[in-house]
Amino acid sequence: MKPGTTKTKWKAIACALALCGSVPARAQTLPSEPIVFADGRVTFGGDVSASFAPKDTGYFNYTDYQHSALRLLRIDFTGSLKAGDHLAVLGEVRSENVGSPRPYALFLRIRPWTARQFDIQVGRVPPTFGAFARRTYAADNPLIGYPLAYQYLTSLRPDSLPGSADELLRMRGRGWLSSFSLANPTPDHGLPVASAFSWDTGVQMHVTSDFIEATASVTAGTISDPLVTDDNSGKQIAGRVAVRPIVGLILGASAARGPFLTETASQSAMGEGRNGDFTQTAWGGDLEYSRGYYLVRFETIVSDWTVPAVRAPLIDGPLRALATSVEGRYKIAPGLYAAARLDHLGFSEIVGTARRDTWDAPVTRLEIGGGYSIQRNLIFKVSYQHNTREGGRVRTLNLPAAQLVFWF
Amino acid sequence: MRALLLSVASLVSFVSFVPLVSFFPPAGVLAAGGGTIRGRVELRRVAPPVERRPTVSELGAPAARDVSDRLRSVVYLESAPRGAFEQSRPGRAVLNQREERFVPHVLAITAGTIVDFPNSDRIYHNVFSLSKAARFDLGRYAAGHSESRRFDQPGIVRVFCDIHSHMNAFVLVFSHPFFAVTDDEGRYRIENVPAGTYSVIAWNEGVSSEPRPATISDGGAAELDFTLR
Repeated sequence: MKPGTTKTKWKAIACALALCGSVPARAQTLPSEPIVFADGRVTFGGDVSASFAPKDTGYFNYTDYQHSALRLLRIDFTGSLKAGDHLAVLGEVRSENVGSPRPYALFLRIRPWTARQFDIQVGRVPPTFGAFARRTYAADNPLIGYPLAYQYLTSLRPDSLPGSADELLRMRGRGWLSSFSLANPTPDHGLPVASAFSWDTGVQMHVTSDFIEATASVTAGTISDPLVTDDNSGKQIAGRVAVRPIVGLILGASAARGPFLTETASQSAMGEGRNGDFTQTAWGGDLEYSRGYYLVRFETIVSDWTVPAVRAPLIDGPLRALATSVEGRYKIAPGLYAAARLDHLGFSEIVGTARRDTWDAPVTRLEIGGGYSIQRNLIFKVSYQHNTREGGRVRTLNLPAAQLVFWF
Repeated sequence: MRALLLSVASLVSFVSFVPLVSFFPPAGVLAAGGGTIRGRVELRRVAPPVERRPTVSELGAPAARDVSDRLRSVVYLESAPRGAFEQSRPGRAVLNQREERFVPHVLAITAGTIVDFPNSDRIYHNVFSLSKAARFDLGRYAAGHSESRRFDQPGIVRVFCDIHSHMNAFVLVFSHPFFAVTDDEGRYRIENVPAGTYSVIAWNEGVSSEPRPATISDGGAAELDFTLR
């Protein structure tokens, strides 16, 4: 752990406690509406969430070696500048654990015909693929943890490659800090199936009607490794179609394909000219149904990463991950709800010298919890996570967590 | 902000304590004609409508919506005549959900009134309130459906949609029937007020005026104008 991390953590806790402490006296004075300037042309909103949990010794919730999704102070400021009926600029700046603010989103939204619901977005755009990645804000997430597909780190890296199947098998269950012999040998975190923590850069088109909406995008990175600038001269193409056959039901299907290895990594393994061969290809299906006091969501993602076969025992065929999650929320009383999510992340098998095994350790997570609205835009959540993993040093870990969320 | 909160707090405390505050004519006077308090509420500054939150995670621009009418004010008697409470006949009122807004934006009712919340949009809405005077959640329901809620406790109830954060409305619940909502030009008219001297207050979007005295004679009328903000 880096020096200063503890200090940062204490700062985060102190800030969050200050927010908690002020709640009873100031509960009705916190702003609850976005800040608006210039006759509504400029709008600012914000989201602050402070999450507390014991140390995650199994790194089940880490998004890299330093950050756990359950021990996080996250501050988002979002802004929108409307320039007439056709153009808008939208952006978001985010800080985690009182670190330096960094741009999370910044894009131009163009509506060529005001009468048609067709938009083009250019810049660092929201994810086209899947459903959860666009609702990662704490106020939209009924629990505190994230679905495994969007957060859990596999051992696979875009800048470092296993020379053989044995090397990959040695890293099972160590995605928070994996290292391989080819390309970059420095230990670093692996890739999630789809990242919920950074957005890709490119062009996105979206058309919608009452019944159906469709989105397509061309971006620099991949769903597991969104980028600001391209690192392999290859583009990802992604698409999503969602239908609403009845009010309250959304059925979505997504697909994405793009080269995921950095140019340096693919060259070190296979030489020049093979960048485009090593791709991440993903398919996703999602469902949301709500009625009355219920909300149910289901999402599944299949992802194939094609990696170079360098030495025996060879990694023959793409490395597959299959993620499935089901979550539900029920409002018990005004301002009070209960929620649960069951999640599994499985992997395909490869053959090493001594054994045949999944290329990463399958993980299952059950999270149950609930939330209480202190006021409309100030929510206190608690949850309890049960994590199991078929590999790694820590195989079972139970984690209680609490979170305070404020938005305007 | 502090003034606004004080105004809201004073109104809430007032309406909550109406049965305990002063009353002037004896019971039975209400049956006789009564007078009228009328006038106009001028708004120096109209409260801006609540904008949508600038959500960057949307894949496209959100659909167009109507903007709430924030010109409506409510004028009411701070103290009510004896017998006012027995006389009030709670009925039904409607707070519609249309084009992602509540219509009307301000609803004034007497305690005991049942308010219907029909959904006239093609999307889900979820009406709820966490106000002290009425804490409720009607759940998600589709177009063509309606849910109801009876408002028994006097006070200010802020109503929201759990799905669309820019949707909000005020329901002002009174213990007595002596209140009026202003028209397009800010004019109001409180009728059948028994003869006597009363304190009158005007309210708009959480801001209240200072109480102003009005003396009414039987069959007479009093003019009382207000300026807010």
